Amino acid sequence: MGSVIDLQARQKPEQKISETTDLALNVRTSSEDMTGWDRQKIVVALVRETGLDQQTAEDISLDVEAVIKKADIKCITAPLIREIVDSKLIERGLEDARKKHTRLGVPIYDVDQLILHPNKENANVPHGPEATNLTLAEGIKKEYALLRVFSPEIGDAHMRGDIHLHDLGFIDRPYCSGQSLEYIKRFGLSLPNSLSIAKPAKQPEVLLAHMVKFAAALQSHFAGAIGWDAVNLFFAPYLEGRSDREVRQLAQMMVYEFSQQAVARGGQAIFTDINLYWEVPKHFENVPAIGPGGVFTGRTYGDYEKEAQRFVWFLFDVYREGDGTGRPFFFPKPLVHITEKFFRTEGHQEFLEHICDVASEKGTTYFVFDRGETAKISECCRLSFKLNDNDLNDAKEPWKMRFCALQNVTVNLPRLAYKNMGDEQKLFNSLTSMVELAVKAHLEKKRFIESLLALGETGPLAMLTMKTDGQPYIRMHRASYLIGMVGLNEMVKAFTGEELNESKRALKFGLKVISHMNLECQRLSEKHTMHFVLEQTPAESTSYRFARLDLRDYGEIARQYVRGTIDSGEIYYTNSTCLPVSSRENPIERVKSEGLFHPIIEAGSITHIWLGESKPSKQSLANFVVKVFRETLNDQIAFSPEFTNCLQCGRTVRGLLDACPCCGGQEIDGITRITGYFTKVSGWNKGKLAELKERNKNRGFFARTQTGSA
Amino acid sequence: MPCTAYRAGVFEQPDYFQARESMHTIRDLPIKGFIDTSFVDWPGKICAVLFFPLCNFRCRYCHNADLVIRPDQLATIDPEGVFSRLDDLRGWIDGVCVTGGEPTLQPRLRRLLEVVREAGFQTKLDTNGSNPDVLRELIDAGLLDYVAMDVKSCLDESSYCAITNAPASMLGRVCESIDLLRGGRVDYEFRMTVVPSYHGPEDIFRLARDLRGAARLRLQNFSPGERLLDPSLNTVKPYTPEALANLQLRVDELLASGSPRDSTPFAPRCP
Repeated sequence: MGSVIDLQARQKPEQKISETTDLALNVRTSSEDMTGWDRQKIVVALVRETGLDQQTAEDISLDVEAVIKKADIKCITAPLIREIVDSKLIERGLEDARKKHTRLGVPIYDVDQLILHPNKENANVPHGPEATNLTLAEGIKKEYALLRVFSPEIGDAHMRGDIHLHDLGFIDRPYCSGQSLEYIKRFGLSLPNSLSIAKPAKQPEVLLAHMVKFAAALQSHFAGAIGWDAVNLFFAPYLEGRSDREVRQLAQMMVYEFSQQAVARGGQAIFTDINLYWEVPKHFENVPAIGPGGVFTGRTYGDYEKEAQRFVWFLFDVYREGDGTGRPFFFPKPLVHITEKFFRTEGHQEFLEHICDVASEKGTTYFVFDRGETAKISECCRLSFKLNDNDLNDAKEPWKMRFCALQNVTVNLPRLAYKNMGDEQKLFNSLTSMVELAVKAHLEKKRFIESLLALGETGPLAMLTMKTDGQPYIRMHRASYLIGMVGLNEMVKAFTGEELNESKRALKFGLKVISHMNLECQRLSEKHTMHFVLEQTPAESTSYRFARLDLRDYGEIARQYVRGTIDSGEIYYTNSTCLPVSSRENPIERVKSEGLFHPIIEAGSITHIWLGESKPSKQSLANFVVKVFRETLNDQIAFSPEFTNCLQCGRTVRGLLDACPCCGGQEIDGITRITGYFTKVSGWNKGKLAELKERNKNRGFFARTQTGSA
Repeated sequence: MPCTAYRAGVFEQPDYFQARESMHTIRDLPIKGFIDTSFVDWPGKICAVLFFPLCNFRCRYCHNADLVIRPDQLATIDPEGVFSRLDDLRGWIDGVCVTGGEPTLQPRLRRLLEVVREAGFQTKLDTNGSNPDVLRELIDAGLLDYVAMDVKSCLDESSYCAITNAPASMLGRVCESIDLLRGGRVDYEFRMTVVPSYHGPEDIFRLARDLRGAARLRLQNFSPGERLLDPSLNTVKPYTPEALANLQLRVDELLASGSPRDSTPFAPRCP
């Protein structure tokens, strides 16, 4: 890891005197006279940035001066001088020095394109000035990460598409996180560098305001989702004595606050997940409850079941209604935990039907299954943090329950098959190397983040180092490091000739691959005393990127396995360990087969059931959900309907249509789930559009039947 | 509308009772369609659906025209395959919905239901109510867990005949089936597919008044599609979801306005 940057060293005050850019900006020239030209500035920069000796630096600066004098350049800028210097470094074979001296920037053409056209890397980012800033900053930080944070081995593996380092543009932040409301309930809102400090909230509306602001602050320190544990339960002590009308209003405020705040990265909504329970989860039953003013109420959370239930019921009333035009709310994503205790809690059937009603009408509900003694916090597209004994101990002081995943690295599985056709031993050996490579990438990012955290209150991650409860806000010793996968189905097809859903043999082979990855994670976790876990990568753009790179580098063979339409470039790989989206797999078999993978993917999995335009009854969906809990190992399911929102008459109807069926308007937005969240289809990348075309909408199962032979 | 689509032959009743006695197997059952998992054909349940050919009605908006008039063009599905598939889905599938066409026209329907029951699944029958004797026999034998009966129009001869193109005598049998179900010996629902050009709000409400006290009358929206018996109806615009929901609300009110278990025999307005 020789190239990993040493930030402490870079912070030495004598090296902060002035920026090279400032030095050089004075350089302007007319045709004859080079006003303000100072060759020495090149020398200073070279010596300071690359460690070249004085003489070489002098020689290079003379070369550069000659080039500039010879050329009839009217106006010379600092970047241009730097590039000429770099070319001289190349001529002299000083590659190391050139790397250190290089500039990160964006061609003007690209900036033009960015400002004018939307970014399709992430469908959650709107198009606008903030979004352009995000893309530009991300572009530069991405290059920085690949050059300075990661070793060439890791950087190259990413560029080749062997692995994908997620959110490189957010290299100076951890990936995603699970939060506890108890923290702000107990300590109020006091952030480093903030202009004012708020004491603990006394009213639920104020608590909500604190939550939203804290979430926004957190979002600027995490690349991915901000998940909140047991939100309805932790609000409950604030709701006593409030009328139904007030509680419903609060529920509505919460949903709108999180769905409309376009304040996070590049004008996106804060990627918020709220974990919800009908029962009081066992691990919070006997925990002293914190009430208004941050004061312990003298009772435990077990006493707040009814208030918690009232709140969560109203939240789903709001979700069912949808937004002002009847569209589903994209955020905050409600994750309802289904546990053994759920079924022993009064009113569970009515509540289950209520949330299934929302699932059928709007698709908003996520069903998270915590079987046996499992307890977890879920967030992001499918990430979940399983709570171990330590965590359950922390549950006694719930404000401590703060979790994070530092980074996500995804392995390109189909490529491994292409490279090792017919040789299983070789295939598994390369799988091992890939997991090792991912681990190496994690070690490098960890070192970088630690160096940022070490700067403490004056560093860029000051907020994550605040020690309000005696330990740093981010608990690095509990961090997870995610290893994901894309295209298991295509890998299995390339290697065995069959897709995952086509035979037991193929499915078994798929399970063997994922089990192997899991065992490698465990081995390396012990070796490094870190927590490497598998996650189903959401892979919104990764499945497209891998498919494109494989077509480029392994075209002949990849052509047979890449999904979508090669000619139009609308191509993709099947996400993670999912069965192909196009298969006419019955939803029962899909949850069963996909569920076989879920127990070995510790950090979270999900099965999507695409509903298309059909609206099954809430009772039938509830019936199904109970069976998924009882009969499978599936971790999480969501039902995904499709909508068309007419921009002319403002109505929202089911199905992805070409025109509004109410007014005939052609200006419409299609809306459905992209990976783990809802967005407008117009923002999707080509790979995801290809997937959408092939999704099997389960019409035979959920729509009113016509002849069954179809 | 005259009963022009009426064709002799189609309406001949198979000798159900006789056939039943000699039936020991269901191997020859003409299963023309099979959906192994449906979330919509049995409220609150997950069920498999079996489709049978032939019908004694000719509703122009029928969306399973192939089953009704061209069953020979549909492949027949082996019942053994069906039952082995059901076995795979044990624990998930609550029951089997038998639909059509008109399944009560099948001589071996009773045997099939027995086999389904023996296999450990519940049974649901979709019917147009044209065979009250068959319905009664199945209910008496305790072979049905749920019945969904399609009611086509207000219960007067001209309306019924215009829509079903069946002989006028059919209405009496339909009414007999309605009475049978309202007797409450089996869980049931009445359903009506509403086509705006046939069923104005007043027609729907009139039927709801006629069915007063019934457990439910569920309105289903007409859906234009390729398999309509009369493709010219493809241009008819269905009720909007909001309109349908409002109609359903009013229907529920009208049904509830009678005593919940009105036991007076139902008197249709048959001439």
